Amino acid sequence: MKKRAHLSETTLALYVSADLPLWRRALVGLHVARCSWCRQMAEIYRDDRLRVREIASEMPPGVNWDKLSAEITANIRVGLAAGECVAPRKKKTAALGWRPAAAMAGLAALLVCAWVLNMPSTSTQELGRAFTAIWSGHVLNAGGVNPVRDTHGLVVEVNSSGIELLENGSTVLGVSQDQSKLVDVSASAEGSASARYVDDNTGQMTITSVYAQ
Amino acid sequence: MRSRAILFIGVCASLLFSEAHAQMLSRKVNLPADSPVTLVSVDWGGTDASARGGAFFVDVHASLSLRNSSQKRVRAITFAVLSQEVTPGGKGSVSVPSLDIAPGEVFPVTIDLRLLRPIGGTAGVEVKLDGVLFDDLTFYGPDNLQSRRTMTVWELEARRDRQYFKKLLETGGAKALQAAMLDDLSRQADRSLYGMQMVRGRATNVEPQRDVSFAFLEMPDAPIQAMNGMARVSGSEAHAPSIEIRNRSERPIRYLEIGWIVKDQQGREFLAASMPADVSLAPGKTGQVGQNTALRFPERTSIQGMTGFVSTVGFADGSYWIPSRASLSDSRLRRVVTPSPEEQRLTQIYQKKGLNGLIEELKKF
Repeated sequence: MKKRAHLSETTLALYVSADLPLWRRALVGLHVARCSWCRQMAEIYRDDRLRVREIASEMPPGVNWDKLSAEITANIRVGLAAGECVAPRKKKTAALGWRPAAAMAGLAALLVCAWVLNMPSTSTQELGRAFTAIWSGHVLNAGGVNPVRDTHGLVVEVNSSGIELLENGSTVLGVSQDQSKLVDVSASAEGSASARYVDDNTGQMTITSVYAQ
Repeated sequence: MRSRAILFIGVCASLLFSEAHAQMLSRKVNLPADSPVTLVSVDWGGTDASARGGAFFVDVHASLSLRNSSQKRVRAITFAVLSQEVTPGGKGSVSVPSLDIAPGEVFPVTIDLRLLRPIGGTAGVEVKLDGVLFDDLTFYGPDNLQSRRTMTVWELEARRDRQYFKKLLETGGAKALQAAMLDDLSRQADRSLYGMQMVRGRATNVEPQRDVSFAFLEMPDAPIQAMNGMARVSGSEAHAPSIEIRNRSERPIRYLEIGWIVKDQQGREFLAASMPADVSLAPGKTGQVGQNTALRFPERTSIQGMTGFVSTVGFADGSYWIPSRASLSDSRLRRVVTPSPEEQRLTQIYQKKGLNGLIEELKKF
């Protein structure tokens, strides 16, 4: 039986270790089933494989695996510590404690108190309107009138709640008759506006005017 | 514990700061030495200044108590309220028309205004007498705000309307007066307060412009005849009104006021503004009046038409013409024209005190 007619040793070794592709393994398996020499060689390789595995699983004499494992772990840790000494340190992020939070809350309360005590209620209302406008994504729109665009100087605004003098969209002069009833508003093309109020208690008429002149 | 202490100190500091602010605000009522009214007392109430940006906002809430120290009855009074006279935006005024204050009598004037002045000194507010109108139509005061003209017209309107209601009471009795009051109240309720912005000069508007002609409401007894007029209109904005007028009276005219009515796309008409003008118009002569002003209405408004009517004429001799009640009975005018301050005051009295209260008021003067 010529050796050339049989499978190569490499092919047989790969066959035994199940490392051949599927279709090739099937062909080699058919050949091994029919060829006694190749079957014998395959058995030899299979025995060798088992023996090598058994030898590899045994520890060398005098070696205690538990002790060796502990030494390896310790060495790894020492290596990591030494690496940290050489590499640049990462900055640690300080955890936000309760003290800074309390200080911030105190400051916010102080600002709110200062605002309430010092600013007139109309400013608070304007701020509220501004926040509402920002929140809703709308432009501030007093009395349903769109602001006059690209206008410099003073604008007289007349609406159902009274009269105002505006500059760059902000009120510079307004009227607020708390105890009185608004009965009318009017404008003069000369650049002024008037609001008429009647006092609920006395019946006295008061006419307040603003001038954009 | 420490944060509580900080908070307490902060609140105390803000209270002190607020008090210091109030003390910084100078407040002054300025009456000339020969003023026909004297200050009995003044309560500045919640008047305060607050700094915002580069300016002081001065909230003026004052209640003045004044005595008529003249020998005549006071019919109207106007105060200028200034935070800084030279700064635009720092000027307002408070007027009280329809008064009947006897010599020696004390009367109140309430001021509620918000003014602005730049930071750079002490925030302050000054209340200055601009004018007093007496029952014989004589006037006292510097008249910086043209209050003489305004108060004289209010007084003439008040006399016309009181006369009208008194005559109604005489001829038709209380029921006729009541019917007139109910009609008035209904008319005032129907007049919605419109929204509008006005700017001197012209607001930039990219929409195409067109010339719109004025139509005029003819008042046969008016000394001025409005002949032609137009304004530039683009969308919801009208500007640069110009009107040709003729003096058809026999007296020279120095002043006139034209009411400007605007019609929107739904056919609704409303009084947009009055157009005052100082003129010098001899009898029979024509002239042109105009204002370099832009009126802007809510964006949804489309100006479809404009109407004008003569509302006040001032003669060179200082006398004034105002429309008669008959002229104002025109249905279009009645819908849009603002009732006089006196008419509005009388309807408020009717609402609050009833028919008897109104009759008592009409009997006073």
